[in-house]
Amino acid sequence: MALVLGIETSCDETAVGIVDDRKLLANVISSSVEQHARFGGVVPEVASRAHLEAMQQVIKQALKDACLSIKDIDAIAVTAGPGLIGALLVGVSSASGLALALGKPLYGVNHLSAHIAVDQLDNSNQIQPAIALLVSGGHSSILQVNNLATDVVVKGATIDDAAGEAFDKIARLMGLGFPGGPLIDKQALTGDRTAINFPRGLSAPADIEKYKYDFSFSGLKTAVARYLAQTPDYKKADVAASFQEAVVDVLISKSLSACKESGIDKLIIAGGVAANSRLRELAKQRCESAKVELRIPPANLCTDNGAMVAALGSLAINAGIKPSQIGISADSAASVTQVVWK
Amino acid sequence: MSIVLALDTSTSKTSVALVENGKILFNKSHLDPLAHGEVLPKLVAQALELTSKVDLVAVGMGPGPFTGLRVGIAFAQSYALGADINWVGVCSLDAMAANISASDFIVSTDARRKERFWARYQQGKRVGDPGVGKISEIEKFGVPVFNEGDYFPDPVAIANLGLNSSSVTQPIYIRKPDAYPLPDGVKFRAMTALDLVSAVGIEKQVYGKAAWSSAQFKEEFAKAPKNANYLAAEVNGELVGYAGIFFVADVADIHTITVTDNHRRKGIGRELLKRMIDWARVKKADAIMLEMRLGNDQARPLYEHYGFTEVSKRENYYGPGLTAVVMRKELK
Repeated sequence: MALVLGIETSCDETAVGIVDDRKLLANVISSSVEQHARFGGVVPEVASRAHLEAMQQVIKQALKDACLSIKDIDAIAVTAGPGLIGALLVGVSSASGLALALGKPLYGVNHLSAHIAVDQLDNSNQIQPAIALLVSGGHSSILQVNNLATDVVVKGATIDDAAGEAFDKIARLMGLGFPGGPLIDKQALTGDRTAINFPRGLSAPADIEKYKYDFSFSGLKTAVARYLAQTPDYKKADVAASFQEAVVDVLISKSLSACKESGIDKLIIAGGVAANSRLRELAKQRCESAKVELRIPPANLCTDNGAMVAALGSLAINAGIKPSQIGISADSAASVTQVVWK
Repeated sequence: MSIVLALDTSTSKTSVALVENGKILFNKSHLDPLAHGEVLPKLVAQALELTSKVDLVAVGMGPGPFTGLRVGIAFAQSYALGADINWVGVCSLDAMAANISASDFIVSTDARRKERFWARYQQGKRVGDPGVGKISEIEKFGVPVFNEGDYFPDPVAIANLGLNSSSVTQPIYIRKPDAYPLPDGVKFRAMTALDLVSAVGIEKQVYGKAAWSSAQFKEEFAKAPKNANYLAAEVNGELVGYAGIFFVADVADIHTITVTDNHRRKGIGRELLKRMIDWARVKKADAIMLEMRLGNDQARPLYEHYGFTEVSKRENYYGPGLTAVVMRKELK
């Protein structure tokens, strides 16, 4: 049993979570997303400034929510990559300062693994073995999780845009605003998802052979852009619903075929795009008929948060993994196979 | 009863000191402009081996390159929170000037992009706020300039200043974030054959005899989307600009960035350029090239700002007497 404080600053959320083993005690998030909206995307320098401004307050609020003093904390966990380097460094430096002042261990952990680890909060489920579909603004991958702390294999990933990025870009093309995920989700609620047959990336037989578990959303983006340009009086709701269906369809089809091939009957969907309502609905339907157990964390734990970082720290402690050394390097391009920094 | 942990990450050096009532217990620095994040915790850990009874954290608040600067401030604030003690901020240039005994002088540190952060001191006191500018502007004052390299912010001075003088509570950034809002009312989308009539019109207006024909555009479009990317900018449904990039053999080549006369200086060209660079990154290009007409002074600062440098000139490239400047930006 350990009280772990987790810090997340890889993109535009300054977030701190506190867990007691598998129990969630606090989850505080300060987002700079509104500052980025007028730029049409996350601006690294703006995000880094906002992290530094918010950090102390977010840590204090998390402690307050958990009714703890900083001295009660047994270990600090922090996202050390992947993410925006300047943003990551604010979190890693804060975590190092806390750990040294408290004389407590520091765990530099992987942002992507943390998205999966959040599934073990407030329940008694075993995470592994599972196939994990990780979908966010920066990532789209299918992972085989044999052991989340030590053995994660990348089955496939996007070869161009991340799924969340495609949502942002299409929302921008349609003049819906930023971030695109929730806006398209909302538009799509009243739209006909069969109205336009947009392409499913890397799903043709020849592509399947070469890119079995990989994704591509660049061609879909072009197809939507072309449709918008050629259809001046297009229906926003129909385009949103048809685009969303094309993304979600491919994500789930490929994830389930990974389950089938590996003989693993559990699918975890994590990352910001896992908050998408159609993804959740279709995943539920198809997993039921494929007899695959589906796990999707609650929507507020799907987007970037500190609780997931604390959860992975806690999982690493329970797995007997050594803390990270003092002076770890933030790694903007860290691979998902690097779970805990040495 | 007063032990101060002092640190500075505002220059290419990371410096840490531990000072007890004026007595220096620890004073160490490491020179590496890209490793503040790794070096700072290690140096502090070394210092804490001497004593962990710290009463105050003092930190250099800049000015300095943003990323390194924030490493020091984030660390100092969180250390203070963890140890339940106070932290205090100090102007880093003051801590550099503290060891210089001239009566009227300037200290300056590297602000990147061929600029310097600087401040002037007379009779031991700073005159005004720190600034940023070119070295030639600083030299105009005609007083001795002490540069980063020969001098650095001294962490012992940070400890002393932190105990004595008024505190700096915000990072001294000086420069604004390097970000620009999207131009108002401009829509960016993929360029298609439907844009050709307008595009050829714009070509004639902007480039005269060197204008592209409809056939040339079609040839370019044929390479999309795999090896080329053409974007259109429109205002109220009217085409006002476009850009295209072509990717071959590890290098992406920007073939055109064009904005109509009436819509220049609104950030449209900048946004098009940024999207071209983004595309080249996605394609994992090693570098981006572009050719620019010699004398095209409007666009050159923009290209330079985004990291393009001149690599060669091609004479008569756009026609007799019209020289092209070839610029390149490394992505790897």
